[in-house]
Parts: sequence; C-alpha cells; structure tokens
Amino acid sequence: MIEFIGLLVGLTLGFVYPLHFPDSMTLYVGVALLGALDSALGGVRSRLKGEFHLSIFLSGTVGNALIAVFLTWLGEKMGIPMYLCAVVAFGTRMFQNFAEIRRELLTSKPKRDKIKQDIEAQGEADTK
Amino acid sequence: MSRPVRDKQRGSSLAVAAVFVIVGYLLASQLESVETNSLAAAANSLRLETLQELYNQETGKTESLEQQILQLQQDLERYRTAASEGSAQGEALRAEVEQLELLAGLTEVSGPGVSVILSDSTAVNTSGDEADYLIHDSDLLTVVNELRSAGAEAVSLNGERLLATSEIRCTGAVVTVNGRQYAAPYVIFAIGDANTLYNALTMRNGVVDVLGQWKIKVQINASEELTIPQYRGTIEHQYARPADQLGEEEGVG
Repeated sequence: MIEFIGLLVGLTLGFVYPLHFPDSMTLYVGVALLGALDSALGGVRSRLKGEFHLSIFLSGTVGNALIAVFLTWLGEKMGIPMYLCAVVAFGTRMFQNFAEIRRELLTSKPKRDKIKQDIEAQGEADTK
Repeated sequence: MSRPVRDKQRGSSLAVAAVFVIVGYLLASQLESVETNSLAAAANSLRLETLQELYNQETGKTESLEQQILQLQQDLERYRTAASEGSAQGEALRAEVEQLELLAGLTEVSGPGVSVILSDSTAVNTSGDEADYLIHDSDLLTVVNELRSAGAEAVSLNGERLLATSEIRCTGAVVTVNGRQYAAPYVIFAIGDANTLYNALTMRNGVVDVLGQWKIKVQINASEELTIPQYRGTIEHQYARPADQLGEEEGVG
C-alpha cells in the first residue's frame, strides 16, 4: 500500500515541479528509470515473500540504474544500440516480478483461511 | 511479532516507498521532457514547411513583378518613340536616352566579346584547406575587374547584368549578384574587343594563371556575337541626388 502512495507522491511532485531533460538525455534517463522501476518491483516481491534485505535492495537499485546508463553510453560510442539489452532484461524481469507478486497475493489469502480453518478444526477436536 | 522484526519491516517498507517516490518523480519528469522535446521538434519541421511555402510565394511574386517591369519598359519605349516623332529636338533627346540606357544596363546589348566559364577545382586536396579549391567572390571580382580594365562595355555573370551598383558577394556556398544567388559554374559574358579581353585574362601571372594554380577550371572563348540581357530589377536612388539640386533646396553652397 505504502508503495502506491510513494508512487503517487513521486508522480505528483514530478508533474508539479518537473525536471527538464534535454533531448539527448532522455534515453539515459529512460533506461535508468526502467532499472529503478524493476528494482522497486523486486523490492515489493521480496517483501511479500519475506526475503527482503535492505542492503541488497539499495545496492541493486543504484547499481542496476548505473549499469544500464553505462551500457547505453557504451553502445552509443560503439554504434550498437546496447540500451536494448537493458530494456529486454529489465522488461523480462518486471514481468517475472509481477507474476510472483500476483501469485503471492492471490494465494496468501486462501492459505491463511486454510490455516485458520485447520486451527479451528483442531480446537473443536480438542474440546470433544 | 518482536520489536526488531517490526523495525526491520518498517525500514524495508520505507526504503521501497522511497524508491517508488524517485521512480514516480523521474517518470513524470521524463514524460514531460519527452513531450516537450517532441513538440519542439514538430514545431521546427512545421516552421520549415511554412518558410518554404512563404519562399515559394515570394519567388512567384518576384517573377510576376519582373514580367511587369518588362511590360512597363516596353510601354515606356513606345511612348518615347511617339513623343519624339516629328521634331528634331525630340529625336536628339531620344538618341541620348538610348545612349544612357546602354551605359546604365537597361537595354539588352549584343556584340563581339568573350565568355568566361569558371568551375570549381577538381584537383585532389593537398593543402588541406578546402576553401582554396573553390571559387570565391574575390576571384570573380578580379576577373570582372580585369575585363573592365580591358575595355569591356557590358558584363554579365550567369545572365545577371552587372551595373555600376552591382555587388558580387559571397553568401555561404553561393554568390549574390544584384540580390540574386548564383552557384558555380560561373559564366561571365563581356562585350568589347574580343582579342584585348582574351589577352587581358590570359596574360602571364594574370588572373587565369593564378586560378590555374589551384586547378580551378577557367574556359575562355572569344565570340563574334554575344547577347547580354538587360538589368531585370529596378533602380532606386534613396540618398543620392544631383548636387546642384541639393544646393538649391537646402541653401548649401
């Protein structure tokens, strides 16, 4: 929930006080943005699964964005559109993360209900 | 849940939320930037189209105005002939007007002379400076000056009559003459004594010799009969007036 609020706050800030990027910078910002978005979704997933580590999350966020920007820059120097590899990698990962988040959210409620039911059944059995 | 676990939970949710704030901020800024930049690009191309259209319109207008000038000059000629018919004084005046028009470049003239064709150099660039191998306004001016010095009575450059007020000026890759732009190859017609004109250009260390060092092609042909068109624009004198008239009007001696 707090993630949604954060996203909304960020969007509002951005639309009210936008940073203007020149035309040549939009590709770099876009790639870095993709990396950050992927890391953010990864953070949500690991939190839901209970495997969250702050240091891993933060280093992943910053590192992914930096490497993506570096690859884009390198590709521009070499004449190969290397930013595509960042796009593909982050894009695929985003789908995976989303799928895991979805599964986690959808299966956790029935699971909890099942456990509750089991405990109740156990209790009833004990009272008998 | 124990206390440290709760703290950790809160910390992690704050970190994820902070990253989401950054992502949102960047996303919004990026959307704005891309939109503004593409709008600017679209405006640029639109502007180019508009300018092209305006240019075409103006070119069309210029052409029709030139036609009009020609028509009016013919009318003027008719009136002059009609007015001077009969009287000896009128006849003399008409002869003088014709003489002056010839001098001023307002009539088409023909006669013997030379044609000079200058084309940019085809030599391999060895000095490193591309500009050395191109024809400049100064080269054209030297040729025209040489022709005039050798007694050319009428000169044209790419069909543009050179008057006393004509400019030959470099404007980027082209040369502007009488406000119109011309590109290489440059064709200069000069009416005068064909032999003198030819020799003036080809003398040792003359203009053709110098240009030849850069392998700029200069082709000179003497001709029995050349036709040089009249000046196609209008002549306006905004500042210059005959001096005695000025003295009368303003009382200056």
